[in-house]
Amino acid sequence: MIEITVDKDACNACGLCVKDCPMHVYELKDGVAVPVRVENCMGCLSCHEICPTQALEHRGIYPSKRHYIDIRVCEMLNRVI
Amino acid sequence: MTGSVHHTIYRSEDVPLGCIPPPEELEDTLHGLMKLNGLIIRSLEEIAGRGANAVTYRAGRKFGHEVAKYFRKIENIEEALVELSHILRGQYTFELWKPADKPSFIIEENGATFIYLVFHDCIVRQTLRRNGQEQGGPLCQTLYGYVVGAIEEITGRRAKLEIVHTGPNGCLKKLILK
Ligand code: SF4
Ligand code: SF4
Repeated sequence: MIEITVDKDACNACGLCVKDCPMHVYELKDGVAVPVRVENCMGCLSCHEICPTQALEHRGIYPSKRHYIDIRVCEMLNRVI
Repeated sequence: MTGSVHHTIYRSEDVPLGCIPPPEELEDTLHGLMKLNGLIIRSLEEIAGRGANAVTYRAGRKFGHEVAKYFRKIENIEEALVELSHILRGQYTFELWKPADKPSFIIEENGATFIYLVFHDCIVRQTLRRNGQEQGGPLCQTLYGYVVGAIEEITGRRAKLEIVHTGPNGCLKKLILK
């Protein structure tokens, strides 16, 4: 099951996720994005890409393969993070 | 390079008995192919404009027919799609999808019958992202053609694939049944 968390302190209510999500998962309520239709999320992560404050977090989605990223870069990031 | 490599004798009729290159070596090949494909598509667009879509769609459709002709024929479209998702594993991973308020995967709306498909792993998306190219262009048409060709081959039914949304981790497509 997919879970979406919004960091309320980070979200600046720009509404980009509301406009961009094809499944209308989010709505703005009291100055923050709220996932109101999580059951319709298909895990595309467009909202992550568009959110300027990186306020979103998904759990339970299928992480698609990213062979386009260099193995060496991944290894380096793994060491740093 | 080790000394033994130089002393190995190869004859032209020899077939390599093992093929287990390390991932680093495969990565170079894969990224090279991604680059080449990206540049071919960019050049095709520059020369042929919107005609590029017709070329790539046709290529994908041929590929779909080619791959699926060795598989058993199935009339049930949902079953055929599950079979197809197994055939395409490794290049594309997809599953049937429906909004929560729809009772079944086969949806009828405004006189059209369609099924939503979510594509997770996709070699096209990965190629485009490697090259910093936009999703939804001519290279995506190869995928539409591929799925349509394979569905035609497996079920004998005509179909059309439409893009609904493209994202970094998944894309939503509509398979329209005719
Ligand atoms: S992952 Fe895609 S479908 Fe899910 S909330 Fe984000 S934009 Fe919407
Ligand atoms: S895109 Fe990010 S910052 Fe903007 S409303 Fe959505 S969660 Fe908040």
